[in-house]
Amino acid sequence: MKQVIIQGLSQAYSNLVHMFAEFLPRLLVMLVIVVVGLFVAYALKVILRTLLHVTRLDRLSEEAGASRFLRMAALPSMTELLSRSLFWVTWSGFVLVGISVLGVAGLQEQISRLFLLLPAIFVAILILFVGLVTANFLSRAALLAAVNAGYASPKLLSWSIRFVIWALAVSMALDEVGVARQTVLAAFSIVFGALMFGLAIAFGLGGQELAREFLERNLGGKKKEKYHEPQPL
Amino acid sequence: MSVGEVDLLVGVPTYNNASTLGQTLSSIEECLRHDFVRERAAILNVDGGSADATRQLFVQSGERSDAGPGGLTSLRTIHRISCEYGKAPSHGLALHNIVAASDLLRAKACAVISPTATNLTPSWVLNLLRPVYRDSLDFVAPLYVRSRFQGLLARDLLYPMSRAIFGQRIREIYCEEWGFSGRLASQCLEKDVWREEAVRTRPEAWMAVTAIGGGLKCGQSFLGPKIAPSTGTDIVEIIRQTVGSFFWCMETNQAQWLSRSNSQQVPTFGPDHELSLDGIPPSQEKIFELFRGGVSELEPILASILAQDTHAQIKAIALSDPSQFHFPVELWVKTVYEFAASYHHTVLNRDHLVQALVPLYRGQLFSFLLENTNSSAEAMETQSEALCQEFERQKPYLIERWTAKR
Repeated sequence: MKQVIIQGLSQAYSNLVHMFAEFLPRLLVMLVIVVVGLFVAYALKVILRTLLHVTRLDRLSEEAGASRFLRMAALPSMTELLSRSLFWVTWSGFVLVGISVLGVAGLQEQISRLFLLLPAIFVAILILFVGLVTANFLSRAALLAAVNAGYASPKLLSWSIRFVIWALAVSMALDEVGVARQTVLAAFSIVFGALMFGLAIAFGLGGQELAREFLERNLGGKKKEKYHEPQPL
Repeated sequence: MSVGEVDLLVGVPTYNNASTLGQTLSSIEECLRHDFVRERAAILNVDGGSADATRQLFVQSGERSDAGPGGLTSLRTIHRISCEYGKAPSHGLALHNIVAASDLLRAKACAVISPTATNLTPSWVLNLLRPVYRDSLDFVAPLYVRSRFQGLLARDLLYPMSRAIFGQRIREIYCEEWGFSGRLASQCLEKDVWREEAVRTRPEAWMAVTAIGGGLKCGQSFLGPKIAPSTGTDIVEIIRQTVGSFFWCMETNQAQWLSRSNSQQVPTFGPDHELSLDGIPPSQEKIFELFRGGVSELEPILASILAQDTHAQIKAIALSDPSQFHFPVELWVKTVYEFAASYHHTVLNRDHLVQALVPLYRGQLFSFLLENTNSSAEAMETQSEALCQEFERQKPYLIERWTAKR
């Protein structure tokens, strides 16, 4: 009996030693990967930051109005944001590779799943950024055009354009990362449809006179009184 | 066609101008036959892809040759060349072709004549070519008789600002007829800016600025009244083209104007200006409505362009009673300068920035119309001169904002 216990303990001890002997080099490899990853990520961050400074991305972002949104959200400049994102994405990748080296059975599958998701997350962020910039640019262009032409409710027009582009960008980004695809699609269709329906009702009921005038002017041949600016040149 | 070298080149940019081209060509030819008898001359038509018979008309009208009423005719052949530079009209491309031809033909004096003026006379061509050919000027801008309510953007913004910035009192740097020397043409041809939006839309202003910047001699010549077909006015488009191109010229020539102060009179042939009292004041109510609406709706955009104090003052005057409305000259100048500095610092998309000036220009326009409905020509000229001086006085403020770090 005593012999069996001692044998068991010695077996357990030798297993533990064996496990440690197997695990320690892996841990060391993981640490090396994480440290190397840190350097690589930092180097990539510096390179990207320099490149973006040279290409004057911040000025472009300022022009498009994206910087204003970043400031509102207490975020750094576009150049800083992108270079920091690259740093974290790269380093996270190295950390995940390092963890997978440990060979923990349950983690392997989760990590490979995460790896598969990384490019999609990056693309989703890009979609959101492009959506933000486009929405801002187009809504401002619409606002200026409507104000200068003297149209009624230019802000409503501008916000409608901004909202539609945002909704489109968010639903595309969520679809890209595969978050509740069906729900997002249905939600977008409902929101978009509701918006259009609401506008149609608002125009038809709230603005009967306006709608009549519009139709008469465009289909009934009624001429709009045109305002003539004094000759500027 | 073999033309060889010429002394004079007249460029006629066209786009669907068959109805007025005949009159334009006969005036040009009459001038060349009677006033430049011994000079070698060519007329160059650069067409932007006309769908009507413009080019055929140009070629056909060259086939006949008459002596003209005075009996005196040119001793040389007046060559006519027509070319199509593209399928869509572009002032910049048209001028590029004329300038290239001028350089190739080694023309001493050139004039660009627009076929849209219905009252063009041979004296117009003479008045643009002579100062270049005989008085060695390099850039000659036109001077027209203006009615009181015509050319208000030029009077309230473009002329005073160009005068204050570039230091030369040229009234019409945005024009459709002007003269230039072969020397200036060669200098312009060397510049790699022909694809820039500002040069493609308003090349004449850039040419004037290039002449001033290059230390060449500029002047202006009186042509008389100009009657152009009324095609409606898109003020937004005109401001985008003129103010946008002017800000661009400021940006690209800043080394020349930042150190320059005061302005100089330029050689002027004929009266310096002529203001006629005809013309009906335009409807003013709508102008004020557009100004007030613009100030309120564009508040966040204006806040990013203007200084806090300037923005507050504009918001305050926008709330005033229209009958008592007054846009102070100092405020108007400050506003324009802050727009120019914000354009330089690209606080937002540059085209959007220029468009945001439109409601404010309407405010200034409303104020001008309100104050000058019954003014005499002299009073209006005095007021215009005061505005020019205010632009010159506040130039240090522009430089301060322009050179400030953002």
